[in-house]
Amino acid sequence: MTAVLPELKQRPASGLAHVADDLLLMAETAAIFGLSGVQAAELRSALLAGDRVAAPVLARLGLEAPAAGIPPAPQIHPVRALALTVSQTCNLACGYCYAAGGSFGGADTRMGWDVAKRAIDQLIEATVPGGGVKIAFMGGEPMVARDLIRRSVTYANKRGATRAIQVGYSLTTNGTLISPKDAAFFARHRFAVTVSLDGGKEVNDRLRPDRAGKGSFKRVAQRLAPLLDHRDRISLGARVTVTPQNLDLSQVVDDIAALGFASVGVSPMISSPTGQGALAGQDFARLLAGMMACGDAWMSATLAGRAHPFANLATVLGELHRGSPRSHGCGAARDYLAVDAAGEYSACHRFVKDPLGAMGDLDNGPNDAARAAFLEARTVERQSPCQTCWARRLCGGGCHQEVLHAGRPACDFVRGWLDYGLRAYGRLNAVQPDWFDAQP
Amino acid sequence: MTGGPRQLNKARKADANGNPAYPQPVLGNPVSTLMESGVGNCFPGLEFDLRQLDVRFFPGLVFEFLGITPAGPDGTQGARLTYAFPKGDPIIADKYTDDGQAWVTDLKKQYAGPAGAALGSGTWYLHFVEQDGKRIMLYDYSLYQNGVGLVPYEGETAWWIIRLIEAEKPLTIALTQRAADGSPSGSPVVLTGRRRMFLNDEGMIDPVYHPGELTSSMCSPWTHDFRDCACHYWASNHPDVVLGEVDDPQQQLPDGTDKDDPAQAVTFIDWMRRRHLPLKDVSAQTTLEKARPDRYDPYEINLHWEELDFVLQGQESKGTTDLKKLQPQEPYEQLEELIEDLHELAGMELTLALEYLYAYFSLREPDGVTPEQEMAWPGLTEDVRAARQLILSVALSEMTHLRWVNQTLWLIYAAYPEMGSYEPVLSPTKIDAGPDSKTGHSGTGVLRPATQNVLQNFVDIERPGGDLDTEYVKLVAYLREYMDHFPEGLYQLAVRIDSDGMQHYQKFRDVKRILQPYAAQEALYLRPVQEAKPDSAEVQPALDLVDIALEALRKGYLIEANLGDMSVANAEIKTARDAMHKLSDVALSLARKNIGVPFFARLQ
Repeated sequence: MTAVLPELKQRPASGLAHVADDLLLMAETAAIFGLSGVQAAELRSALLAGDRVAAPVLARLGLEAPAAGIPPAPQIHPVRALALTVSQTCNLACGYCYAAGGSFGGADTRMGWDVAKRAIDQLIEATVPGGGVKIAFMGGEPMVARDLIRRSVTYANKRGATRAIQVGYSLTTNGTLISPKDAAFFARHRFAVTVSLDGGKEVNDRLRPDRAGKGSFKRVAQRLAPLLDHRDRISLGARVTVTPQNLDLSQVVDDIAALGFASVGVSPMISSPTGQGALAGQDFARLLAGMMACGDAWMSATLAGRAHPFANLATVLGELHRGSPRSHGCGAARDYLAVDAAGEYSACHRFVKDPLGAMGDLDNGPNDAARAAFLEARTVERQSPCQTCWARRLCGGGCHQEVLHAGRPACDFVRGWLDYGLRAYGRLNAVQPDWFDAQP
Repeated sequence: MTGGPRQLNKARKADANGNPAYPQPVLGNPVSTLMESGVGNCFPGLEFDLRQLDVRFFPGLVFEFLGITPAGPDGTQGARLTYAFPKGDPIIADKYTDDGQAWVTDLKKQYAGPAGAALGSGTWYLHFVEQDGKRIMLYDYSLYQNGVGLVPYEGETAWWIIRLIEAEKPLTIALTQRAADGSPSGSPVVLTGRRRMFLNDEGMIDPVYHPGELTSSMCSPWTHDFRDCACHYWASNHPDVVLGEVDDPQQQLPDGTDKDDPAQAVTFIDWMRRRHLPLKDVSAQTTLEKARPDRYDPYEINLHWEELDFVLQGQESKGTTDLKKLQPQEPYEQLEELIEDLHELAGMELTLALEYLYAYFSLREPDGVTPEQEMAWPGLTEDVRAARQLILSVALSEMTHLRWVNQTLWLIYAAYPEMGSYEPVLSPTKIDAGPDSKTGHSGTGVLRPATQNVLQNFVDIERPGGDLDTEYVKLVAYLREYMDHFPEGLYQLAVRIDSDGMQHYQKFRDVKRILQPYAAQEALYLRPVQEAKPDSAEVQPALDLVDIALEALRKGYLIEANLGDMSVANAEIKTARDAMHKLSDVALSLARKNIGVPFFARLQ
């Protein structure tokens, strides 16, 4: 594929470390060091020359890179978060939808109470008393199954209380069906609500039509008010699916923020079941440029003490500061499973009805052997292009579902974005180190 | 370049063996640090590390608050259970009776059950605390791309939460074991009880805290005064106030210190006073604000440390001690001389104890002060009360010394059998007071009421550098010289008796000062007591009690000296004590009839 950034024209030869401005990222430990200008220049050229040249240069700085090996098989512990695919149907018909209109390629189905109840039982019973779990209501459009959501929350609270388990809730919705009563309910139970929106009216309506082909923007905007009224108790954010049609991210983020969202996150569409709307080729360069523009705006606002809605940079900065190297891109299969209407577990909400991510069913409980096998196979150390990539322990190998279905078309974008994130980290850490202390 | 590039983020440092990059930091003082190690901290509340109180916040359990290691979070941070030892906890040990507090009884049952058994093995961490329906889980919840991470709070944060727990309210806590990443595993143990009260009913720090425990995490820097370092826990270790140097302890110089008020010896002065100011004899101020202008600021210690005095036993000492001054004029040359002096000293302690007792009974009782008198002499009641207490305390102290001198004797005889055998010394020594005696009739066996003159005599005989003190100084010097030749502890005993003399001296000065306003009308505080004739029928019961007490002491001392049956010896001492209590009652009722007991009537 075409290079995204001039300086990332080629994959760097060394996977030991990466230099961005005067920061050094150690690939294996995710530790970040400050360098002098001379050190940075020396290391940058050494890393381009490959591991054999880079290793002694690093060692001279007291930074022996630990050998990267296959990590021990992950411990399987009880799931801490569960997605209930309460409705496998949707009132919208977005062309790129991973659930293919909510049905995951099958007939429209809604989850029955029995399935939800048993899933909640299994989640709570497996959890250490006094612990906490999260339940995510997914779809389709979950608000189609409003009654089931309410019943599940009431039940999970009661069930959790008997074992002193705190249950947290989240919901991903297209926002078109939310009523004031729903918002009050979400507020009472402290939901985290993510509204999918793809941009301002024109852009959004093109990308997110209803089944009759009419745009959804106006309806969403009208339905937002009750959610915004409860902003103090609902953690509210917007999520943008980036396709070739809405790559003007600064505009997209501004348009959505204008609706009242304090947090807007973007995620690129890489694998779509229909093949429609996925990013490809030069799209990634535009995506990166757009995200960097949003990042610059976020940084200016933050340094000036103002809030900015662009969430992706804040997330990256927090992760870089935390510095915990990862072997998987996310918690799927390890901490998180999804349950569908048929009562089958899958590695996450995107693997519903996908044999590659099948993780057992409610009759037999989560299949821990399948989870272990999945995690071991998907560990980034086993991924062949990843082993020699400096970003492997930050990226974790990417989204399992995308990789299994679309490969890794976006690695240059990921490295470019992390390189940008590192530079931003150095800048913010130098000027406003307090920012990191304030992060949850 | 020095030290290599600086790490900016919180990633764990790598180590080939999987060990943390740095060893655990050494926190605070060595375990041998004692409470006494910090003698002069200027910040009330910083005499110890407040955080150490909370390691025992829950009765029966001891925690430690572990921070994040330099290598980053490793799953061990937080409030880790050091051990569970309910039986060693006074709350549980003392109050586990049927009539104990219900929550204590209940907690004991919990410890006796599965909860206690579970805590007996494995590594446990505080999981949550709950009070008033509010539960705080001691974890950071992090959500990232659908993964929920439970990262335990570090120890400091756990402590912040623990210190918010209120006392005297039900409290529920849970402990859990942990997986390698710090997330909870297995079944937690839940306990209900209450937070420990740090002070007991008497206002003392709960005895559950061991010596040194509350200071064990503190630093004891001695080369600098960290008093102005208000941000951290420093134990300073210099004295705030000291006794000034005594230029002339033996009052040998013609211009020796003022006889009535040798301020140098008895006034506490500020150790940090600016030496170029003429503040030598000025009492230390009572507050820091008042003291500050005249004392070095803490940061100046580094500049002026050479001016600050050494302090030995509370007293400043400049430069090299003149050993000659410490030496008594006539050191003992023979052990016989020492033994002879000890016999005299023992008798003298008895003589003085009885003289002081007589003076004590000569004082009016506070209850006897009439409202009219109190109206005319405000404070008279309390003054009389204070005077009585002070004199009685000195008399009791002399009785203690009587025993200690006897003990000194029997230990010496035990070490040197060739010197003879020990016989208890329980008869008074009476000195002949010459016409120019500095101490009036004190020590002569003359019983006198506590008039101003008599009190001045008492002050004089107890004065540091006076005759009595000099005797003990000789004893101390001798025992120090030949410490190895005597049983362990003998030297300390002598030092103790000698230093008590200073207290006696100060107490009598106080009594005299307290009663000074009534000097013109001594009847205000004195009874018109007359010493009864030795054969007076009224005082025979009192004299019998003196005999009983001394006889019982004689028997008790003999048994102890011969390493006999201690229970019998103790019974004798108890007999003596009971007799003295009775004597106190009898002598008091006689005093109310203005009859003084002729204590020496039957004593030779």
